[in-house]
Amino acid sequence: MPRTAQTGIERPATRTTPSVEHVEASYAEALNEGLRQAMELSEAVLVLGQLVDYGPGVFGSTTGLVERFGPERVRDFPVSESAMTAAGIGAAIAGFRPVLVHHRLDFMLYSMDAIVNWMALWRFKSNGQSSLPIVIRAIVGRGWGQGPQHSKSLHAWFAHVPGIRVAMPATAFDAKGMLLEAIFGENPVIMVEHRSLFALKDRVPKAPYRVRFGRAAVRRAGRDLTIAAIGVMVPFALRAAGRLSALGVEAEVVDLRSVSPLDAETVIASVEKTRRLCVMDPAWQSFGVSAEIVARVVERANQVLRAAPVRISYPDSHTPMSSALELAYYPQEDSVVERLRSLAAEG
Amino acid sequence: MTGISHEGILKAGRYRGVSVGGGEAETARALLSFMVRLRACEEALAREYHPADEMRCPVHFCIGQEAVPAALSASLRDDDYLFCHHRSHGYYLAKNAPIEALFAELYGKASGANGGLAGSQDISYPSRNFYSGAILAGAAAISLGAGLGCKLKGGAQVAVAGFGESATDEGILWETVNYAAVAKLPVIFVCENNNYSVFSPQLKRQALDNISARVASFGVRSTALFGNDAMEVQRTLSREISRARAGEGPAFIEAYTYRWSGHYGPESDDLVGYRNAAEVEAWKQNCPISLLEEAMRASGTRAAEERKAFEREAASEIARCFELAKSSPFPKAPDWRTLNSSPASPMADKLLAEVELASFDAQQESQQAKGY
Repeated sequence: MPRTAQTGIERPATRTTPSVEHVEASYAEALNEGLRQAMELSEAVLVLGQLVDYGPGVFGSTTGLVERFGPERVRDFPVSESAMTAAGIGAAIAGFRPVLVHHRLDFMLYSMDAIVNWMALWRFKSNGQSSLPIVIRAIVGRGWGQGPQHSKSLHAWFAHVPGIRVAMPATAFDAKGMLLEAIFGENPVIMVEHRSLFALKDRVPKAPYRVRFGRAAVRRAGRDLTIAAIGVMVPFALRAAGRLSALGVEAEVVDLRSVSPLDAETVIASVEKTRRLCVMDPAWQSFGVSAEIVARVVERANQVLRAAPVRISYPDSHTPMSSALELAYYPQEDSVVERLRSLAAEG
Repeated sequence: MTGISHEGILKAGRYRGVSVGGGEAETARALLSFMVRLRACEEALAREYHPADEMRCPVHFCIGQEAVPAALSASLRDDDYLFCHHRSHGYYLAKNAPIEALFAELYGKASGANGGLAGSQDISYPSRNFYSGAILAGAAAISLGAGLGCKLKGGAQVAVAGFGESATDEGILWETVNYAAVAKLPVIFVCENNNYSVFSPQLKRQALDNISARVASFGVRSTALFGNDAMEVQRTLSREISRARAGEGPAFIEAYTYRWSGHYGPESDDLVGYRNAAEVEAWKQNCPISLLEEAMRASGTRAAEERKAFEREAASEIARCFELAKSSPFPKAPDWRTLNSSPASPMADKLLAEVELASFDAQQESQQAKGY
């Protein structure tokens, strides 16, 4: 079978004619297209965020929207993240479907009260009578010295709180589909988007479509070990799996897509087959999503594990600026491939 | 009114400014009726709170602060939004939400406004566009978005935020005022300045007693007034709400008032020593109900008889509410998952196509050739 130049991963030999009309689009273009279609489908959809109505359009994801839908619906917001989130809540109460955008997740932390004390428990405390269809897009940076205030991925915090859904799309296909699912669903959603993914291309259906939350995707099938990967770790896992394959180790890569709800079933089913588990989480290790996944697998399928689970994540440290230290901080392919190769040999 | 302050109000003694003008008799009667009912409701709840110990949630009573909710009840439409703080009962009734559901909520019963999930300080009544919450200024900030919604819909709806002066200690309140001004939103801010954040007086927390002046500097119409003059509060609110409905943007009203009871619960917390008996007594002499009753009498109404009649009505209504609340069943354990997250997504069902990843991938040249 032919192999792709980028990954060395085998391609299926046969081609079928796609029945779903699609275009090739980057992650950023897919987000942009999702927002555009959502705003066309419903006048209730609003976009709020700093600089969303300027040409650069939050790394291309909001470019062109203000020209098409006007400044009432595409609103540049003062540097007041708390009030912006509260405004999103109020707009949702009044029947709108706001999408809030943060260039970096770190800035939205001013709005933790609005998120945790109001948004998350709104449906609960109204006894199910009032729901908040709000989407908060939070972009996470990495590399080129982003440092400790431009690179935090706090998806585990948000996933810990009942009443918030947390999406972490890893492909352009998922970025558009999950964004639309979030906008037209009835729950608050925090979508954590990694900046490194914005240029990745994928085939994206033209029509507005949904990618449901809590349904993981098996991105690569394998028999020797399971890699449960989150967000930006999915392409990393696929690259590692490609190299492992060349070494005779077939890794199955599960893309969790959302961390709340979390599709543990797909991971467990995979582990029951491979009997080895590695979790890749683009965040600090302690008290994080990787621990939650390991716990759920162990609770249900401890007896099938032939080796202790492995967690690939970030050190319990803030992010350094220096490029030399970034190399030491972020997981590197060579050492991860080596680690997984020995995992496959254990037991 | 400029130069109003808590100190000045105490120095001035009994307030003599309430007036019922020609053509205002019906409004005065409505305000009196509302305040008498609210006072009776709070006093009855306070009497019953501890002896039976069946209302097992924090309750912040608003005895003495009835004028602002009364004025709101006389000024708001059914479709207007009202967001308020933890001292919620007056606001709840101002949006005409059912009093039986308020009592049942405090008792934690299934028939409560929120099925016993929220209690006094988090109560809401969504079908009446009424919401509350305990974290200071949070609800006021949410009114911003409701106001934005009102503006985008293009009707004459408004959103009102009711809060205490302590909420102005919070940064988010000022972000909120700023955005309401810059976006010209139909939001009315009503600040009940009762001087105390639990025990701590405003001038211990803020250098100046000039909240309304500070708000004005953001480009928001701002008025400070004596908040126990129900007629004046009502006139000011009605005027500002009308202007907001007409597209003139937000307004801020700072109503100086006073809570008679402790911060929380029915007992006095004066033993803490944060305020003295003379101050409390002086404010009781400026009771919003008595002040209005007196002004109505001066305008030729048989106000005392009216008040008695309202009190009798309220008493029988309240007795019925207690009976209902006490006899109602407790809620059953809910499905925690669907209570916290909606399992249904009707809009997505209607608008979005299902594209199963597996089938879509199978149609692609290669699943793995996705740019990785």
